[in-house]
Amino acid sequence: MDTMPVIRLAAHGPQKAERLLRQTLAALGLFARRYASVIGFLLLWEILSRLKIINPIFFPPFTLVLDTILRLFETGVMGTHVRLSLMRALPGFFLAALVGVPLGLALGTFFPRLKTSLEIPLEVLSQINPFLLFHILILFMGIGESPKIAIIFWACLWPITFASAHGAATVNPVLLKAGRAFGLDRLGLLIKIVIPATMPHVFSGLRLSLGYSMFMLVAAEMMGASGGLGWLVLSSQETFQLTRMYAAVMVIAFLGLILDALIRALGHRYLTLSLEGFPNASEN
Amino acid sequence: MARLDRAAGWRPRRLAEKYWLLALGLAAWELSGALGLTDPAFVPSLSQTLSATRELWERAFLFNHVMVSLTRVLIGLIMALAVAVPFGYALGRAFPAAAEALGPLLRVFGLINPYCLFPLFVVFFGSGETPKIAVLAWVSLWPIFFSTLTGVRNVDPVLLDTGRSMGAGKLTSFLRIVLPAAAPQVFSGLRIGVGMSFFILIAAEMTGATAGLGWIIHSAGALYQVPRIYGAGLCVVALGVGLNRFLVFLQNGLFFWKESVDPLLGAERPSQGGKRISSLKIALALAAFLLVLAVGVHEIILAEVRLNDPTAIPEYRVWSR
Repeated sequence: MDTMPVIRLAAHGPQKAERLLRQTLAALGLFARRYASVIGFLLLWEILSRLKIINPIFFPPFTLVLDTILRLFETGVMGTHVRLSLMRALPGFFLAALVGVPLGLALGTFFPRLKTSLEIPLEVLSQINPFLLFHILILFMGIGESPKIAIIFWACLWPITFASAHGAATVNPVLLKAGRAFGLDRLGLLIKIVIPATMPHVFSGLRLSLGYSMFMLVAAEMMGASGGLGWLVLSSQETFQLTRMYAAVMVIAFLGLILDALIRALGHRYLTLSLEGFPNASEN
Repeated sequence: MARLDRAAGWRPRRLAEKYWLLALGLAAWELSGALGLTDPAFVPSLSQTLSATRELWERAFLFNHVMVSLTRVLIGLIMALAVAVPFGYALGRAFPAAAEALGPLLRVFGLINPYCLFPLFVVFFGSGETPKIAVLAWVSLWPIFFSTLTGVRNVDPVLLDTGRSMGAGKLTSFLRIVLPAAAPQVFSGLRIGVGMSFFILIAAEMTGATAGLGWIIHSAGALYQVPRIYGAGLCVVALGVGLNRFLVFLQNGLFFWKESVDPLLGAERPSQGGKRISSLKIALALAAFLLVLAVGVHEIILAEVRLNDPTAIPEYRVWSR
């Protein structure tokens, strides 16, 4: 029975099986070459820790950390914390996107006077540190979920707003002139030209903000929470369970990578465009 | 939309246009308590906040805490610059293959959350100044490094070719072309790094410190001294705006041949150049920088002394609880 797939593959001709194998190997090789530094770093960590060249109490070997992550997921502990954390980070982020993009577009496009008078107040507001806000919001909202979501919202709002405003303010004037020549009114210009041309900026702002949201999340959970990944890091450190701390840190980093990949996939069309609407030479 | 800003001069009308909303907001803040819109127990009015700031200045060493905070940022920044700029130039210019190979690893490092590092640094460095400064250095390291790398890589090849055709050797073209051409990008990274580290600093001081603005806010929060939270918060905001403005001013003056930077958006304004900064102003800025560093280090030491010898100033003992 075990040989069946091989036989089936062989039925399509040996070349095909061989090609498939070669393609897989090539993809693996490419991956390994691209991420050689990461793999090398992890290997070095593992070896140095196993050989006790670096103190395994402070740097538990990588495989042990992986094992801890798997065990925490199996028992459902990690799943709970991840869910708790995401339920804080994502609403804050989405709210910020909902407010920031229209605000940025309004600032960058048709209301130069609005921008002139909003500039200073917005600069002051954007300098209100989320942690300062946290201490004030606790007075109003108590120590629940809402102040945490609020400070994540606050931290995410500004990159989105400013990136959108900058994008909308720097739309290629040739495009705008062309639009006007085709008889578009202000609304038409906004929908057909300004918004699409601003999208690359919006997405780079969103990407930055998503990073910020993870960042703030962990901080907020460290300052006052009884669950979530940030809390897991802090409580593991306080009880000196360093392996668990590393596990939580790695899950946070991995979650950040996944969210980043998601937003890049969503905005792929736009992130690869440059300001003028021509593809960029490099993707990053 | 591309729009030429009118020449910024001292024009009352323009000033009014710029500041009326801020003035309105401040007035609303001042009056909202008196009009019963907000609870004065939670939202002290502007004048109460200002008097709380003054009280902090007079009785709780606000100057000391501001200096301590600024110095932490500065030391972290100097450390980050010392590592990031040479590495950025080297990887971008001399070892592009190494930059290619190390890229993913460095990007992962840049993604690592500084708060996750804080417990780790505390484990290694104990609970003094070192873990805080290490976190700040880490935070500002990555923006500076990556923007240096981008700047060095994106030097206009025409400039390099021109230099070569004029007989510039490797060293000359590095010193005279690559270094200045990438400098605006480096400075942009530095600006982002300072912003981020000021941001983190407040949090770091809240979690484990005995001095600094974040600590004042945290301890005032714990003691439920609401006006003091606002009073210290006002300082944080003013300091943040001031730092941002100062750096944008320096950037626009130093790199006057580039398009100028908008202080709000932190991005380049199209079709508007900067104005060259005079060398006197550069010297003044440098002197201010050194002065803050010197005073701040002194104040950090002083704060330690005060903490260890609380009998010296009883007020401080109450405050550092």
